[in-house]
Amino acid sequence: MARVALEIPKIGLVMDAVRVTRWLKGVGDLLKAGEPLLEVETEKSLVEIDAAVAGRLAEILVGADQEARVGDPVAWVDVADAPDAQPPAPAPPLQRAAAPELPARPPAARAPGRVRSSPVARRLATEHGLDLRGIDGSGPRGRVQLADVKRAIDGAATAAPPAAAAPPALAPMRRALARAMSLSNATVPQFTVERAVDWTVVETLRTQFAATLAPESPRLSINDFLLQAVARALDEHPAMNATFTGDVNGPDARVVPASGAHIGFVIAVANGLLVPVLHHVERFGLAELARLRRECVERGLQGRLRREELEGATFSISNLGARGPDRFAAMINPPESAILAVGRQRDGVVARDGGVHVRRLSDLTLTVDHRVVDGRLASDFLARLVEILESRDWHLG
Amino acid sequence: MEHTFIEILRRALDEELARDASVHLLGEDVAAGGAFGVTRGLAQKHGDKRVRNTPISEAAITGLATGAALCGLRPVLEIMFIDFATLSMDCLVNQSAKYRYMSGGQLAVPLVVRTQAGAAGGAAAQHSQSLEAWFIHVPGLVVVAPSSPAEAYGLLKSAIRLGDPVLFIEHKRLYTMKEALVEDAALPPIGKARVARAGADVSLIAYSAMVRTALEAAERLARAGVSVEVIDLRTLLPLDMQTIAASVRRTHRAVIAHEAVLNGGVGAEIAARIGDELFDELDAPVRRIGCPFAPIPFAPELELALLPGVEAIERAVHELLGAAAQPRE
Amino acid sequence: MYHALWRIRLFEEQVQRLAGAGQIPGFPHLSTGQEAVAVGVCAHLRREDALFTSHRGHGHVLAKGSGLEQTLAEILGRDSGLCHGRGGSMHLVDAANGVLGATGVVGGNLALAAGAAWAAQAQATGSISVVFFGDGATGAGAFHETLNLASLWRLPLLLVCENNGVAEFTSREEHSTVKHVSSFAAPYAIPTQTIDGNDLPAVHAAARDAIEGVRRGAGPYLLECMTYRMAGHYVGDAQQYRSKEELAAIREKCPIERLKKRLAAQGVAAAELDAIADRARQEVEQAVARARAALRPDPASVLADVYRSPALHGIRG
Repeated sequence: MARVALEIPKIGLVMDAVRVTRWLKGVGDLLKAGEPLLEVETEKSLVEIDAAVAGRLAEILVGADQEARVGDPVAWVDVADAPDAQPPAPAPPLQRAAAPELPARPPAARAPGRVRSSPVARRLATEHGLDLRGIDGSGPRGRVQLADVKRAIDGAATAAPPAAAAPPALAPMRRALARAMSLSNATVPQFTVERAVDWTVVETLRTQFAATLAPESPRLSINDFLLQAVARALDEHPAMNATFTGDVNGPDARVVPASGAHIGFVIAVANGLLVPVLHHVERFGLAELARLRRECVERGLQGRLRREELEGATFSISNLGARGPDRFAAMINPPESAILAVGRQRDGVVARDGGVHVRRLSDLTLTVDHRVVDGRLASDFLARLVEILESRDWHLG
Repeated sequence: MEHTFIEILRRALDEELARDASVHLLGEDVAAGGAFGVTRGLAQKHGDKRVRNTPISEAAITGLATGAALCGLRPVLEIMFIDFATLSMDCLVNQSAKYRYMSGGQLAVPLVVRTQAGAAGGAAAQHSQSLEAWFIHVPGLVVVAPSSPAEAYGLLKSAIRLGDPVLFIEHKRLYTMKEALVEDAALPPIGKARVARAGADVSLIAYSAMVRTALEAAERLARAGVSVEVIDLRTLLPLDMQTIAASVRRTHRAVIAHEAVLNGGVGAEIAARIGDELFDELDAPVRRIGCPFAPIPFAPELELALLPGVEAIERAVHELLGAAAQPRE
Repeated sequence: MYHALWRIRLFEEQVQRLAGAGQIPGFPHLSTGQEAVAVGVCAHLRREDALFTSHRGHGHVLAKGSGLEQTLAEILGRDSGLCHGRGGSMHLVDAANGVLGATGVVGGNLALAAGAAWAAQAQATGSISVVFFGDGATGAGAFHETLNLASLWRLPLLLVCENNGVAEFTSREEHSTVKHVSSFAAPYAIPTQTIDGNDLPAVHAAARDAIEGVRRGAGPYLLECMTYRMAGHYVGDAQQYRSKEELAAIREKCPIERLKKRLAAQGVAAAELDAIADRARQEVEQAVARARAALRPDPASVLADVYRSPALHGIRG
C-alpha cells in the first residue's frame, strides 16, 4: 500500500490559481482512475478534476472554497503497491482542510433541483445572464418573480458592503478579465473605425426565414446575421483574419493567419464576461449558427464551457443589446486582432436618393490591432461588412 | 346631461329606425314599451308595422326574425331574459349562426337579438343567469356585452349596422345607470376592447356590469398602492386579444372577472389564450373571478353571498401581488 | 309538368344509385313518390317567392327552378354545387331562384318561412313564402307557434304538409292522435284543405287557389297533401317497418303512373309521353356526368363565409 499525492493539473492556457468549489468524493471512498474527484473554479469556468489513480481517498488537503495553484497536492490517495510507488511525502505545509463538506445549501424554502420562477422572471434573468439559483424568490412557495430579478439586477449595481468587513478577494474570473484588459491596453495599439448599418433587410429576412424554420429551431437573432457577415467579410479580407505574436521589437514577431473564421461573441455572466468562440463560422448557415450560439450561451451561463470553446478566435463581436449604448468602442481581447461593437437598434433618419426615410439603424464600431490592421484595411472591411448586412444574400442553412 | 341606460338605448333604437327603413323591432310587449321600457313610445313614433308585439313564442319569433333577415329586413328582436334564450337556441344556433356558411355565402343574417342578463335582487334562478359563454362557442354569431349607457348606445348601433347575427346582452343592474352621451362620438367597432383605466401592476379584464365593479376595485386598490389596468372587453365574440396582449405585456399579471359561473365561463377561454400566447410575459398564474357553481338563489343574503363583488376582486389582486406568505393552497 | 315529374323522379333515382355506390357523403333523403306535390305547388310560384323545405327537399328545390347539375353537385359536395359543398343534401340553398333553404332540423324552418313572408309583407313586394314539411313536424312546438303567429299577422305564407303517414320510422298513429294535419288549422283560423298529393291535377288546382288567396293578402294557408314515401326514410333505410303488400300498394299510387294514365286517356300519344320521359332522362344523365366530374372544394377555403362582415373573416373566436 502506497500513499500518492493528487495534484491540480494545468487546465487552461493561462492558469494561475483555482478555487476548489466542491469535493465529489469523501475520505474513505474508493476511487477509480479517471473518475471525477473534485470541482474547481478556474478563471473561466467550472472544471472537474479526475482522479489520476485508483485507490482510496485517504486525506483531503485543500477544502471547499480554498485556493490551490497548479501542481499543488490537494489530496492523498492510498493505492495498491506498484513498482514505482512513491514513499509518502512529508505532510505539505498547506493548512489541513476541515472535513470535506458539500457547499452550503440554497435557502431552505427551495427544494433541491428545480427553481420555481415565473416565465417573465426567467426571461429577464436569461437576458441579464443571471443565475436564478442565486436569487431569492418572494413569490408563493419561494417562486422567483419579476420584482426579485429586477432587484437582483439593481442590487448588483448598488449593493452596500457591510460596514466592518473588508472587500473579498478577487474572484478568478474577475481577475482574468482585469489581466486581459490591462494587457490589451498596455500592449495592443488600437484604433477604431465606425459605420452605421441599416437593419431593414435583415429584419425583413429574419421574419421570412422564421416561417421556414422547423418549430423547434431557435429563433434567428441579429447576432447570427452578424456572425455570418463577419465570416464572409473576413474571408474576403484574409489580412484581417490573423493574430500578432511575439515581441514587436524581437525577431520572433509574426502575423499568424487563422485557419478559418473563428469568431467570439461576448456574453455577460454572473461574475463578469465570457467570450465563447464559434470555430469555422464560414461552414454554417444561419439556422445552425443560431443553434450553436444558443448552446454556447446556455453552457456559458452554467459555467460549462470547455477550454477549446473559449480560445482560438481572431475576431469578437460585442452586442450590448437593446439597452446598450448608441455606440461604443470595445477593447481588443488578446490575442485577437479585432472586435466589433454593435450599438443598439434604433429608429434613425436616413437621407437617401434625395428623400428622407426612417429606418432601423445601429452604429458599428470596429476596434483593430494596429500591428495587424491599418486604416485602409479596417475601412474596407467595415464597409464590406455593412454591405453584406444590408444585402439579401444569406446562407440560411 | 345624463340619461339612464334605458333612455339611451331607446334613443339608439329610435335613431336607427329613422335612419334605415329596413330596421324593425319585435318581441314580447315591445310595442307596449317592453318589459323594461326600452322600446316605449317607439311604436307610436314609427308605426305599428315597424315596432311589433309578438306572442310568447321565443322559438317562432327568433325564426321569424331570422327568416326576415334573410329577405331584406334588419330585425332587432328582444328576448326578455337571456334565461329564455334557451327557447331560441335551435334557431339561433342551428339556423341564424349557420345560414351564411351553409349557403356557401349566398345569404346573410343581419339580425340583432337584444336580451338582458344578470342578477338583480330576488329574480332567482330562472331570471338571473349570465349565459354568454354558451354563445361564444358558436361560429357565426357575434356576442356583445356593453358596460355602460354610452357604450351601449354606440355598440347597439354598430351591431345593427354590422350585417351578421349579433347577440346584444344588456345587464339588469345597469338599466338605471346614468351617463352623459358625447354627441357625434365615433361608434365603437365590434370586436375592439377598450382600456377603461390605465395601470401598471395587473390587467383586470371584465365586461358588462362587472366593469363597474372592476373600476371600483381598481380605485380601492389604488389607495393601497396597487395600480390596476381595467379592460372593458365590450365584445365577447370575437375576442380582442390584441388589446389584452398589449396590456399583459406591460403588467405581467392578468385577472378576469365576470358575473357568470366560473366553470366553463368566458374567463376560461381568455385565461387559456393568455397562457398560450403570453406565457413568457406572466409573472403569476392567470386568475378568474366568477360566480361559484350554484344557481342564483332567491333570498337577498344568499344572492349576495354568491355574486362576485369588489372584495373578491381586491382579494384576488392582493394574492397575485402578495408575498410567499399567502400560497393559495 | 309530366316532364317536371320525371325530372325529379330520375334525379332521385340517380341520387339513390350514387349513394348506394358510396359516392355521396352523409345520408340523403329521397322524395321519390312525392313529386306531384312539389311540381303542382311550384307551378304557381314566381322566382322571387321564397321556398323553404325539409331534409327531404330535392324535389321542391328542382321544381322551384334550381339546376340539375348544381343541385347534384351540392349533394356530392363539390365546389360548383349550389353552396360550394358547404351545405349538402339537407341544406340546399339557391337564393337566385328563391330557394331560401332546406333544413335538417324537423320543423326548424317553419318560422323562418314565416319571417320571409313577413319581410315580403313589410316591403310590399307582392311575393309569398312557401314551406314544405312532413307530418312529423307537426309534433314540434315551432309548428304551432308558427301557425299562431302567421295567422295573427296575416302573413303571406303557404304551409304545405306532405303527409306520408310516416315520420322517420314510425307511423302517424304512433305520433299523434290527430289524423289529419289540416285539423290544426281551424283553431288558428287558417284556411285549409286535405287533398290527394299524388294526383297532380288536384294538387295543381288546390295550390292555385291557395296561392291566389295568400298573394291577395288573405293570410296563411295550410295545404295538406296525402302522399306516400316510396323510398325509405333515407338511402339505406331497409324499410322493414313496411309490409310487402304495403309497398306494392304504394307503387300503384305512383303520381307519374297516374298522370300518364290520365294523359293517355286524354289522347296524348304514348310515344310522346315516352319522348318526354327520355328527354328528362338525358338531361339528368348529363347533369350527373358533369356534376361527378366537378372539382372538389379547396380545404384552404374552409374558414371563408362564416360571417358577412369582412372584419370578421377567419376569426378564431
